[in-house]
Amino acid sequence: MRATVLSAVLAAGFSSGAATLQAQTSADIQATATVLSAVTVTAGNDLQFGNVTPGVAKTIGIADAGAGRFDVTKAANEGVTLSFTLPTDLTSGANTLPIGSWTGGWNTSATPAGATTFTPSAGGTNTAATAGTTVSVYVGATVTPAGAQAAGGYTGDVTMSVVYF
Amino acid sequence: MRFTWLFATAALVAAGRPAAAQISVIPVRDLAFGPVIVGIPTSIGPSHPVRSGQIRLTAPLNSRLQFRLTLPATLNGPAGARLPISFSNGDGIAVSGASNSVPEVFNPKANQVVQNVASTTTNIFIGGTVSPAGNQQQGGYTGTITLTVTIF
Repeated sequence: MRATVLSAVLAAGFSSGAATLQAQTSADIQATATVLSAVTVTAGNDLQFGNVTPGVAKTIGIADAGAGRFDVTKAANEGVTLSFTLPTDLTSGANTLPIGSWTGGWNTSATPAGATTFTPSAGGTNTAATAGTTVSVYVGATVTPAGAQAAGGYTGDVTMSVVYF
Repeated sequence: MRFTWLFATAALVAAGRPAAAQISVIPVRDLAFGPVIVGIPTSIGPSHPVRSGQIRLTAPLNSRLQFRLTLPATLNGPAGARLPISFSNGDGIAVSGASNSVPEVFNPKANQVVQNVASTTTNIFIGGTVSPAGNQQQGGYTGTITLTVTIF
């Protein structure tokens, strides 16, 4: 009888001990996402230098009539990063015309007046988050024809990529 | 004599029992997908330096731990909209706090049992994928990820 009681106590003791051999705790984090409309880019105006003279550099500023322009449509209140792939030369067949000293400006109104200026680059430039859903981006540069620059029409591609940041 | 042995055993059990205060689980950062575009799935890997979720757990050295993640199937958005979220088998990484530790990839949908032999601290990193529909309601979405840790 005594042995029976002891066995019962032992069983209860071990059972209780096993049940308390665990401690548990937890913590929460959030998974978050912001769903936005697709961002689109439209080529507006080409960057046009018009006629240039051999040996005379020519610059088109972002507010000049020949400035290049891209139009961006985006979600409201979201900033975007503007990244560029820029040529170092315009080409005309085998002939090249150096281009550089790139300038840029972005504005939520469709005018270069009052645009926020920046230097276009592959590394990208962030626009400020704004209430607008459109951003106009203006691009200028300088071409530097040599004194013996071959006559002809020269072209090159300027590519702008846009992502939300 | 028998009772003495019984009480000694009980005392050992009590001494060996882990206290909840010995383990801590601290949320470090959210799993933040940031801007996602309608119709385009977006994934964040668990090794992403900024956007992966991170929870830090601390327990006595040589503790045997089980941790379990409770994961949402959707994130909740504006006007009751829901954004599907999924987790692949490699969306979890556990990294011991020891300087020479090697990150271990794990399935966040499965329970994990580890023994922290090298450090009292383990960091859990979580990635995932959200899949907005083409007509997904725009706006902010959130869901809760819970890490539950049991120490044996």
